[in-house]
Amino acid sequence: MNNRMKSEREQLFHDIGVISFVVTEMNEYLDTHPTDKEAMEYLNHYVRMQNQAMREYAMKYGPLRISDADGCNQNEWKWATQPWPWEGGC
Amino acid sequence: MQDYSFNEYFDRFPVAMAYVPWQHLTNIFENLDEAYHVGTIFPELEKPFTGRRCVK
Repeated sequence: MNNRMKSEREQLFHDIGVISFVVTEMNEYLDTHPTDKEAMEYLNHYVRMQNQAMREYAMKYGPLRISDADGCNQNEWKWATQPWPWEGGC
Repeated sequence: MQDYSFNEYFDRFPVAMAYVPWQHLTNIFENLDEAYHVGTIFPELEKPFTGRRCVK
């Protein structure tokens, strides 16, 4: 862990990573426990949070999923013009 | 996908086969950054590999 201060963009990107991880974990749990209501509630909660964070990121910096591309009110196609992962985009 | 009771069915299990105990949802890590770091959101699945015996 480094102690360098994260920029707001880096922090939001990190949070999206954490939330998406929780979604994947719950997804996998539900694959083998398809009637677990509590797990379904957890999943729904974090999916909503994930969508919200993804929309916010798309609006501020550009979309991380193509389905959020319509959330960018820019005059350019941010999907292509924002830095790629190998250009330090994450 | 059946939840076998180990004691009840033990005698009927074939030898040399491995079985994984069924996971039950208890809780998830309160600190999700920690969960992300250890690689699971389920505290009961946190099983760090140390490459040696552990001594408490």
